[in-house]
Amino acid sequence: MEFRKQDNGRILVLVEREGQEIVPITFELLQAGKQLTDQIGGILCSAILGNGMDHHSKEISHYADEVYFLDHPLLANFNPEFYTSALNQLCQSLNPITILMGHTLNNQNIAPKLAYIIGVEVITDCIQLTNEAETGHLLCSKPVYGAKFIATFKLEKKPYLVTLRPKAWEPITPRATKSKVIPFTPVLEEAWVKVECTKKIREESISLNKADAIVSAGRGVKDAEGLNRLRGLINILGTNFSRVELGASRPLVDAHLVPSSRQVGLTGEKVAPELYIAIGISGSSQHVTGILGAKKIVAINSNPKAPIFQVADYGIIGNFEEVVPALIKKLEELQ
Amino acid sequence: MKPLQIMVCIKQVPDPEGPADAFKIDSEAKKVIPIGIPPVINPFDENALEAAFHIKDTYGAKVTAMSMGEKLAQPVLRKALAAGADELILIVDHYFKELDSYSTAYVLSKAIRKIGAYDLILTGRQAGDWDFGVTGLLIAEMLQIPSINLAKKIEIRDDEIWVEKLTRDGYELVKAPIPTLITVSSEVGELRYISIRALQSVSAKPITVYRADDLDLDIKRLRARQILNLSAFQGQRECRFIEGDSHQQKGENLALKLREDRVI
Repeated sequence: MEFRKQDNGRILVLVEREGQEIVPITFELLQAGKQLTDQIGGILCSAILGNGMDHHSKEISHYADEVYFLDHPLLANFNPEFYTSALNQLCQSLNPITILMGHTLNNQNIAPKLAYIIGVEVITDCIQLTNEAETGHLLCSKPVYGAKFIATFKLEKKPYLVTLRPKAWEPITPRATKSKVIPFTPVLEEAWVKVECTKKIREESISLNKADAIVSAGRGVKDAEGLNRLRGLINILGTNFSRVELGASRPLVDAHLVPSSRQVGLTGEKVAPELYIAIGISGSSQHVTGILGAKKIVAINSNPKAPIFQVADYGIIGNFEEVVPALIKKLEELQ
Repeated sequence: MKPLQIMVCIKQVPDPEGPADAFKIDSEAKKVIPIGIPPVINPFDENALEAAFHIKDTYGAKVTAMSMGEKLAQPVLRKALAAGADELILIVDHYFKELDSYSTAYVLSKAIRKIGAYDLILTGRQAGDWDFGVTGLLIAEMLQIPSINLAKKIEIRDDEIWVEKLTRDGYELVKAPIPTLITVSSEVGELRYISIRALQSVSAKPITVYRADDLDLDIKRLRARQILNLSAFQGQRECRFIEGDSHQQKGENLALKLREDRVI
């Protein structure tokens, strides 16, 4: 083995948080990081950026060998310049072999910037990672061509920088022991900000990825009236599932019928619920790539040739306006 | 105020909306071969074009569309002119074969420097072929200008750029100086309708072509995308179709089947 713990082989995982909460992708990243350290030896590290978020560092210390807490007033809220610079400073100091980030909106912003500063390539939206046996180079697989294919790329220059797709790894399980939390104070200057945030507008704060059942609407649902017909289905499923949410494919989001936080697919959320019901969704590969982790997929579509049926467990060829009310009624009877 | 100079980077890709069986893999060459479907302007870049035209309609602007590749299909890219671009620049050379994101950004940034004055650079959020989503932001780093990722709306007020930037639970209203690079999200809307007549009217419009020699390029820095393996995505499941005499009955039978299989 070329790499051992004493080789200073650090795998660095960026903790992802939303406000005061650590989000699930963090634990998936840690699992991916653990698999790499198990394979080549090495130290699993995590970096948490924020201001005065000590309790988070303590929580993460159950999952990683080292926790770096980058504490600075300018890191309190996400800012691409500060986050990129802070991470770069940590990387200069730690010299990690691999950096793992979630493929989230924020990281889609900082990953290329960080890659540029460090002078390495970045592979985004990976669903599989492995170290090449002889060289230790990182092999990264990701869906391409709107998820029609999987391509594997090789990163040869360290640090290997990748963003990982949500729901592609199981979450890590905590250990009984706690690792130490190491404070790290980056040097940041307010004057660096060229793009100034003047206002934050919260449209709707939902976490599709926490739902265990999703009723998702596509082009076939057409309008607000169509969406209303799905409410009853969401309600009745609430008796069987702990959290049922409305999802949508891109056309309904672009038509401003559904907020973008509910969009499922390549440029939206990747979800893995127990049950996913696709209504009036044709099933473009861009949409399908967001639901592959779903346990059971039901498709209701009037077009028998819709590609959604190829990835569904149950299919109904029919008009949703007639199918859904009958489905709701029968579900109510079965309660 | 003199008219804004907007550059839009557009990539030619095999139509990502094409049916799955229109794409074959050459696993030897590690290439995707589109069969029977024409190339298109990357749909995400069409969003960027639409954003540029919206600014042009509102404030007045000169829109320059630019595309880079080993071989480019002029009739496909002329669509940008038909939709409202004032100029189309094609950056073509055999050196530009299947470049990786970094090299692509390098060549585009050199071309933008050559063109000179610009106030705004727009790109799509990602390309529908490799789906990396990094080229736009890399161009900004190379030009050392500010960047904003995932704009859903762009306005110009008092020589400042105001952008609604997509966030997970809504958006941020951010302002940036001129020049800035912006990657555009699909929320800005699809590219406007283009009539056959409009396409015909630009069929003879002159196009500027740059070769590698025209740009201040270090050819040794160009790298092709290194692909180790390429395979079909396996997501297919065995679909059990629920039958019934009517749509209603199918709905009822689905409920029964889901209960029987303990899905609910």
